[in-house]
Amino acid sequence: MDRSLFARRVKHSEPVEQRDPGWKLFGKVPPREGPTKDPRKIQKEYETKNGRAGPGNPTSPRQNVRKNLDFEPLSTTALILEDRPANLPAKPAEEAQKHRQQYEEMVAQAKKRELKEAQKKKKQLEDRCKLEESIGTAVQTWNQDILPNWSAMCTSRRVRDLWWQGIPPSVRGKVWSLAVGNDLNITHDLYHICLARAKEKWKTSATPASEPESEDAGSSDRESSLELIKLDISRTFPHLCIFQQGGPYHDVLHSILGAYTCYRPDVGYVQGMSFIAAVLVLNLDTADAFIAFSNLLNKPCQMAFFRVDHSLMLTYFSAFEVFFEENLPKLFAHFKKNNLTPDIYLIDWIFTLYSKSLPLDLACRVWDVFCRDGEEFLFRTGLGLLRLYQDVLTCMDFIHMAQFLTRLPDLVPAEQLFQHIAAVHMTSRNRKWTQVLQALQKDPDRGSPVLKR
Amino acid sequence: MSETYDFLFKFLVIGSAGTGKSCLLHQFIENKFKQDSNHTIGVEFGSRVVNVGGKTVKLQIWDTAGQERFRSVTRSYYRGAAGALLVYDITSRETYNALTNWLTDARTLASPNIVIILCGNKKDLDADREVTFLEASRFAQENELMFLETSALTGENVEEGFLKCARTILNKIDSGELDPERMGSGIQYGDASLRQLRQPRGSTAQNKQQCSC
Repeated sequence: MDRSLFARRVKHSEPVEQRDPGWKLFGKVPPREGPTKDPRKIQKEYETKNGRAGPGNPTSPRQNVRKNLDFEPLSTTALILEDRPANLPAKPAEEAQKHRQQYEEMVAQAKKRELKEAQKKKKQLEDRCKLEESIGTAVQTWNQDILPNWSAMCTSRRVRDLWWQGIPPSVRGKVWSLAVGNDLNITHDLYHICLARAKEKWKTSATPASEPESEDAGSSDRESSLELIKLDISRTFPHLCIFQQGGPYHDVLHSILGAYTCYRPDVGYVQGMSFIAAVLVLNLDTADAFIAFSNLLNKPCQMAFFRVDHSLMLTYFSAFEVFFEENLPKLFAHFKKNNLTPDIYLIDWIFTLYSKSLPLDLACRVWDVFCRDGEEFLFRTGLGLLRLYQDVLTCMDFIHMAQFLTRLPDLVPAEQLFQHIAAVHMTSRNRKWTQVLQALQKDPDRGSPVLKR
Repeated sequence: MSETYDFLFKFLVIGSAGTGKSCLLHQFIENKFKQDSNHTIGVEFGSRVVNVGGKTVKLQIWDTAGQERFRSVTRSYYRGAAGALLVYDITSRETYNALTNWLTDARTLASPNIVIILCGNKKDLDADREVTFLEASRFAQENELMFLETSALTGENVEEGFLKCARTILNKIDSGELDPERMGSGIQYGDASLRQLRQPRGSTAQNKQQCSC
């Protein structure tokens, strides 16, 4: 599956401004050449006229492939007045000399700047090519070596390392499916049965909707499924414009969520689910997305959250705090002092598996390792984020921290975040995450007192 | 970060899903309508310093998730709130019918003196109206709530809603009905007021002591 959702925006070259008579372009370009000239061409002409081809002129090997990524020497397309208009007396020689000198200096500086810029762009392009190449080889490795021998290889050191670096988008869905598994033994048929039932329900509930509704209970039932699913789908990744009414993935998302409410009426639809289903839909075919969705939600941590089992959620938060204090004692104390409890930011992070709070491509990388390591990695990621932003957070008061953490910066640096996640120790006094969690479950009084009511 | 203000009020925005709580908050903070709105999971925040009746007040606003299922979670955020915007959607009777439940929660879990303003949002969608102004204002009166119809889209009455609520709280402080120093009042003194207050406070306390001597 090759969906170029995240294709980088390519800058459009800006048109050269209109010229007035009497004004000339830098490189003695005849003024008749037309006003919208490609700046790159002008640059070239300028260089040939000057008898040098430009020392570091970045004619990258892939220029033809990615023209628009190349640099555009806009600075030389500026205009300069060389001679005074004919109706005015000519410049004195001295002044003309001075102007020429100033002009040379300006050009020299502009060139320097461009060269720097061009080198930077070239490096970016090289990095990008390298990245694409490495993704290419990774795809091969996953497809030819790992996936055919999944059960034997998935726990090997080499695969785990490769996994940590991020699964290539084209095999991501397959790996997620395999890693999440299908303990529930859901078949494609079962999905279609659930979907048919959901459609039946939508039909019957659509007809009597015009009748005035009674005020008594049952309204929450209705709220928990049909109407709310519809409402929330339009509010799921709205900036992608693909899940909204009329968008290509609207019906798919609707079907999965609807089928799930029929498959698990005891859980129903809970806000946050639409984000998880949406991420799966982007990486898997509908029925497989449903299978992965149901199995994912069936994991203990997800079940605790989506059933809104408050006391169990508090246990998870307490366990998180144990590792928080262990890893970042100073920040932990700062949070405590400001009464900033982990539920405030963790609820959003855990419910949507970071898909709402992190940029989508980064969230997918978190999902990659979450599929490998399980729930523990969600909390480890949380600690990684706190660690990454530790310095900023320490200078903030309650409201600023709360705002910051419930709406993270638009650009979270992926590599840095993963370095910080890697630096988080998930052991506390020789106990691992599951042990800490179990101990807290047995002895819930040790939970965060702030959250208890 | 060195904002000076006289008071800090904790505000809640509560009400059913899809009534426009986050959009109201966004309009109040950013002065524009939030087009690409996600649904809130858990709680989100906003803050703004406003000038009310000559006092600067920092509003610390907790914007909560609307789904019924989340109520057990969002309830824990009610404690110590000084004011609340209780939001329903004038085009959805269901969200209006749920008001009683939200109100009970707010009155029992936040401070008992919490000042609540009822906001009938989506006023711009008058053609789809399911709840009349009259009906809602009667409900507000019966339940001792202030009431406004708002539009997060056009911005109509949004600022008014927050300011009205803040003004009422300030009046209650002035009249002595609300004591900012009581635990869980949802009100804190800011730096500015501490500087002003400390002096006269200290001296009156001393005077009293002298009198009792």
